[in-house]
Amino acid sequence: MESTLELHLDDTMKNPAIIGVLCTDQQGHILGCRGSLSDEHGGVVSVLARQVASLTKDPTDSPTVCLESDSGNILVRAHGTITVAVHKMSS
Amino acid sequence: MGCCYSRENENTEQDPDVYKPLIPHPNPDSKPLNSTEWSSGSVPSARTDEQALLTSILFKTALNIIDVSAADSQGMEQHEYMDKARQYSVKLALLSNSLSQKKPLPLPSLTSQPHQVLASDLVPYSDVQQVSKMAAYAYSAISQIKVDAKEELVVQFAIP
Repeated sequence: MESTLELHLDDTMKNPAIIGVLCTDQQGHILGCRGSLSDEHGGVVSVLARQVASLTKDPTDSPTVCLESDSGNILVRAHGTITVAVHKMSS
Repeated sequence: MGCCYSRENENTEQDPDVYKPLIPHPNPDSKPLNSTEWSSGSVPSARTDEQALLTSILFKTALNIIDVSAADSQGMEQHEYMDKARQYSVKLALLSNSLSQKKPLPLPSLTSQPHQVLASDLVPYSDVQQVSKMAAYAYSAISQIKVDAKEELVVQFAIP
């Protein structure tokens, strides 16, 4: 049943600028990860997404967190009950 | 102000001077502050009980009060004070050697050149849109993971 998700993660990694992708649920349990993002990042990613939701009053609006560094940007975004993080090299 | 470190069972073969209190307890057998005598003969018994209770409360409070003005000015000599200070600092140095290994790890740094990262271009909006599309797609992929009920969970046992 998870093959659709696995396929989606693999497709995402085909993009040359993307070096890592991670998908977790609201408790930080990893649903799938590739590349530079792995199991140990699940907790932090889910908590970041949950905290950032309190920045906006609109409950349907989910902000995107961007962690910028020398080695690319990590973008974290929640959608419904899952959180997705993408590690992308800055072009 | 709280206590940073304390231990119950100290070994007593160490120098007992270390544990001697700096301010000796003034008048451990003192009466309560305003020691009034109540003649218990003429008052009713309920009144006496209440007053006995009050007296005991007063007595307990007085035991815990350190009356600084009444303490006799038996200060420490300069050399005694320096000795004690030296003793304490030696002990602290010994302890800090063993405790220093428990320092919390510093936060990892994302970059050694923060001004360069801050001055560089913003994250392109196309990237943000790409990520939100990815999240939506992943959410729909996850919703395919569900319980596939093939049989009844609860069955009746037929007794022939």
